[in-house]
Amino acid sequence: MNESLKNEKHPINESDLIIKAQAGDRKALSGLVNNFAFKICRDPEKAENTMQETFLSMIKSLHQFDGKSKLSTWLYRIVMNHCLMELRKKKYNSISLDDEEAEIPEDKLIPDWSNVPSDVTENAELKRILDEAINKLPIDYRVVFILRDVNGLSTEETANIADLSVPAVKSRLHRARAFLRNELSKVLEK
Amino acid sequence: MNIEKITCKDVMNHICESLGEDLESQKCVDIKKHLSECPNCQNYFSSVGKTIEFYKKYDLDVSEDCHKRLMEKLGLDD
Repeated sequence: MNESLKNEKHPINESDLIIKAQAGDRKALSGLVNNFAFKICRDPEKAENTMQETFLSMIKSLHQFDGKSKLSTWLYRIVMNHCLMELRKKKYNSISLDDEEAEIPEDKLIPDWSNVPSDVTENAELKRILDEAINKLPIDYRVVFILRDVNGLSTEETANIADLSVPAVKSRLHRARAFLRNELSKVLEK
Repeated sequence: MNIEKITCKDVMNHICESLGEDLESQKCVDIKKHLSECPNCQNYFSSVGKTIEFYKKYDLDVSEDCHKRLMEKLGLDD
């Protein structure tokens, strides 16, 4: 196992941020939006810019929010659209994914990851590995992975925000998970 | 009843979807049975779960300055 990965510290608790934001804590709310923007953009500066644009958009178009969907769903869609715009401004290089790349050969022995530390908060080497892997993931797959797996939204909510069908979300999620797992395995299983 | 033997490849192909998805179908019941008996697939299953856990815990703390700039931009600074 990679020795440089064995540095652990307590993570930020996003659930705590949600509770504080619901109680009217402005900093917790901006933290939540900033976090989500960062998870998609993977760049602190772009995340801050997206956070600011998201709040401005929210204020300008709050009257359009009809209450039929959750406020968080509406907010996620604004953040996602801003992140996509930011990423499309620059020449964005990503690979294409197909089912074969999401598979693992049946005869391959899969190592046990139980000794890999799971806390990434203060682990710069692990953060770099995670950034490299997710930056290779096409943005359409990244958005689905972040919404469904990282932020814990339902498949239906994810489909609604990403403007995809439920089967399309499941397919992209399967490929995204397998791709990221395989990218991390190249480093973590050394 | 589907008595087709579940292979590791079947598990590899469907295991990801089973994370957080409905496991009541016959296919998923067969996969769970295979999983309980196959260490290789157990390792794969747990490594996918750990991958998700990594990204869930990878957060960016919003600094006081960053929050202050937002409040200024919104005209909400005290």
